[in-house]
Amino acid sequence: MNGLPILTLIIFTPAVGALLLSFVDRKNESVMRQGALMISLVTLLLSLVMLTSFDKSLGSYQFEEIQAWVPSLGISYHLGIDGISILLVLLTTFTMPLVFLSTWKCVTDRVKEFQICLLLLQSGMLGAFLALDLIFFYLFWEAMLIPMYFIIGIWGGQRRIYAAIKFFIYTMVGSLLMFVAMLWIYKHAGTFDLPTILASLQSNPMAREEQLWLFAAFALSFAIKVPIFPLHTWLPDAHVEAPTAGSVVLAGVLLKMGTYGFLRFGMPLFPDATVVFTPWICWLALIGIVYGACMALVQNDIKKLVAYSSVSHLGYVVLGIFMYRQANGADSVEGIVGAILQMVNHGLSTGMLFLLIGIIYERRHTRQLANYGGIAKVVPIYSVFFIIATLSSIGLPGLNGFVGEFLILLGVFKVEPLYAVIASTGVVLGAVYMLTLTRRFLFGPLVHEENAHIADVSAREIVYLTPIVVMMVWIGLGSKSFTDLVEPTVIQYLDLLR
Amino acid sequence: MEELVFSRAEFEAVLPSAILFATGLLLLLMDTCFGDRDPNEDSSPKTHLVLTGVAGALLAFAALSVSAGDTSVRLFAGAMTDDLFGRFAAGIIILATLLTSLAAGGYLSGIGKHRGEFHALIFLGAGAMVLLAQATNLISIFVAVETLSLALYVLAGYVRAWRESAEGAFKYFIMGAFSSGFLLLGMAFLYGASGGSIQLADFGDGLDPVLGSVGTLLVIIGFAFKVGAVPFHSWVPDVYQGSPVLAAGWMAVAVKVASFAALLRLVMATGDSANMAGLIMAIAVITMALGNLAALNQTNLKRMLAYSGIAHSGYLMIPVGLALHEGSVNPKVLAGSLFYLAAYLVTTLGVFVALSSLKHGDRDCDTLDAIKGLGRRHPLIALAITLSMVSLAGIPLTGGFMGKYFIFRDAVLGGYWQLAVIGIVTSMVSIYYYLRPVVAMYFHEPSEKIEKVEAAWGLHLALGITSFGILYLGVMPERLVALSLRSVERLGM
Repeated sequence: MNGLPILTLIIFTPAVGALLLSFVDRKNESVMRQGALMISLVTLLLSLVMLTSFDKSLGSYQFEEIQAWVPSLGISYHLGIDGISILLVLLTTFTMPLVFLSTWKCVTDRVKEFQICLLLLQSGMLGAFLALDLIFFYLFWEAMLIPMYFIIGIWGGQRRIYAAIKFFIYTMVGSLLMFVAMLWIYKHAGTFDLPTILASLQSNPMAREEQLWLFAAFALSFAIKVPIFPLHTWLPDAHVEAPTAGSVVLAGVLLKMGTYGFLRFGMPLFPDATVVFTPWICWLALIGIVYGACMALVQNDIKKLVAYSSVSHLGYVVLGIFMYRQANGADSVEGIVGAILQMVNHGLSTGMLFLLIGIIYERRHTRQLANYGGIAKVVPIYSVFFIIATLSSIGLPGLNGFVGEFLILLGVFKVEPLYAVIASTGVVLGAVYMLTLTRRFLFGPLVHEENAHIADVSAREIVYLTPIVVMMVWIGLGSKSFTDLVEPTVIQYLDLLR
Repeated sequence: MEELVFSRAEFEAVLPSAILFATGLLLLLMDTCFGDRDPNEDSSPKTHLVLTGVAGALLAFAALSVSAGDTSVRLFAGAMTDDLFGRFAAGIIILATLLTSLAAGGYLSGIGKHRGEFHALIFLGAGAMVLLAQATNLISIFVAVETLSLALYVLAGYVRAWRESAEGAFKYFIMGAFSSGFLLLGMAFLYGASGGSIQLADFGDGLDPVLGSVGTLLVIIGFAFKVGAVPFHSWVPDVYQGSPVLAAGWMAVAVKVASFAALLRLVMATGDSANMAGLIMAIAVITMALGNLAALNQTNLKRMLAYSGIAHSGYLMIPVGLALHEGSVNPKVLAGSLFYLAAYLVTTLGVFVALSSLKHGDRDCDTLDAIKGLGRRHPLIALAITLSMVSLAGIPLTGGFMGKYFIFRDAVLGGYWQLAVIGIVTSMVSIYYYLRPVVAMYFHEPSEKIEKVEAAWGLHLALGITSFGILYLGVMPERLVALSLRSVERLGM
């Protein structure tokens, strides 16, 4: 794009911003808050500029940047964006300003460090979505953990230390084996550069057994991040203990790292192993869908309920990703396109739910469902937002969740009707637990006297909730403009899995 | 009698260590001439000693670049070799000494134990270490080892008032003497096996298989003691705990570099005639595993870092084993060790210097409890410690990651992916204990009174340099990687 390294700018604007903020006096909290918001808005703007020149008819990498970085060790600085990553990058740049705005009142301790951590986290996430060199990707993938670890550990709830350590060790353990697998690929292909490796694999494929091991190493790392049942146990702890901003980023963007990893690296690098592992992963995803939904049914802590719903929702995404080929050998794009869209949808709906839970928690300092009930009359605007988020989460037609789920189920049905039947029970259960939540949380008689004087959402809160609602409706009604960004890439991408 | 004449090359080759020795002596003289042995004197920063030391170290560092480029020249009838490998190792040793003497003024006066010997000892020790990195015959190796050890024994017992200091020094001395015995016996065997030569260069193919194997094995054991490889590691935690924290940091880095340099030269010289690859790899595996496991439940930071240092010796052994694999000597992979040592310098010294800038009355601030809440009290020091911990754990964007990456990459490329997997698994274990100080510093409220030492400009400068170094090696490693690759090219020729 006119020689402007737009992707580099997008990745490093938050990091440079964090560096600038580190020189601001820590007493100057408002400068810190506004500064961080401005930086994230600039990043959003940059990503929108990038979007305007993104050619959606192309299925290949765009705005590529390649530089030798550590040539002696074979690492290159290689960035690129395509239909698989563009929506996720936009999701990240879109979410962060809202997150910053949401923390203005609730984070009062060590404000400076908090803003810096969030900005570094943003750089890490963007870098992981845009890197096309294995080691370069790995750097961001790991570096991302550290700010998140601090966000949970410093600003989290009661059991924050336990949750932070659990989160860190789980994710780290998974990714280290992936690291060895990357070195093995390097031994085979002589480079870490993803496009080059994929090209060389066409003529010089890896042995089947080799692929199985390597895929397993990659899959473990991604499965922990998603998380796929039974590796999900870190998630409820991390979500419940993290501060609101942490939960939003975790659910909104970080979990998608895992599913993105499968799409970008796991499957195209090891096509034969993918075929072998597909039924296993699909069954685990199905178990996750039903299990997550059942767990969500019985939770009394609202945040934990939403956390388990994430396990269920991400199950759909994983299922969609692996439904790429029909029994007769024909490609099926719906699954993957739906999965990518659903990643965004889940980010929006769950992110919004966490923001809303954060808002009510600020006022009442409890997340137990038993302490609420009947607050719809007290906080009507809040309740409207909550209901919209709920409906989006359960996939009401006209809102975003429906499109993604429908595409995924369509894809699944074309490939494996049995899976579709099981997966649909998750949709039903989803409606049950989310509607039960709304009923117990918002409606019914006002039991607790303390709830009678909760303040409704403030102007600032409306400012950061409204864009999410707009996006939900936009995706719900005009989903084609979003799937159009993805589809050409997916069609080309499926050739890699041959 | 033959007349002793130095050639220009010989003069240039000994120049760095000569400068270090001269600085050490100068420091001793300065201390006797200017110090009046007033008890209060021990709390003064003695800036003149610090500045002299820093100047000496800088001069020695500059002297490294005097001699010619990528050549490998045997000097003093083979007693030492001037090559890029030796100068690379010497560079790390001198930098470690520079940073230590920079930090020493603030630290020692802070705990009220500032005496001139400290400065003199680290320079005398460093001079011997540089010689060891260049030594290529048995006699010069042994003399260098003994000289540097003497300095270390005294440093370990530097604070006479601490009981554990005396205990550590005593233990170190006994174990050191014991290991020297192994070293010397091994050298005697090698002398016999080669038919009466003390030159490493003669230890190639002509070595008697049985005697040669025994000799090499004993020498490896001798150096395994020095670097703290399992099962010869038991002295390390006690010595670290007893030593003043800054001295422990200097020992951790400099001794490791010098001993590894000598070990690599020796192993390259004897080649795989002794079939040592398997043994070295086994030592590497056990050392990585045991070091990391034993570090898990340490609450004393010095002991934890001691076990971490043991574990890092294990990682450093991997390239040594790889270099010998399948009978052919392949010095190229040793570049990984060199780079790792450079990253280890900034990383490890970073923690120790950071801990030196804190005190607890007149004691070191060295327990997990003591640093609770440091993130609130002294955010910059806490940040520096965090950076070092992250680098020790091998997390990206730090020198520690690049070092591990370098070594594991060579292991996988060399066909030993199992070594890489074991290394990775032990790294996973290590993350737990490297995070513990971070948890204590940031996630807990301050519990005990931690003081920051005064007059700490030197400490802060040193801390700035190490932190910058960690990030520099993590983000822009290319220059040093290329240099380390060039350094090993002529090794074993």
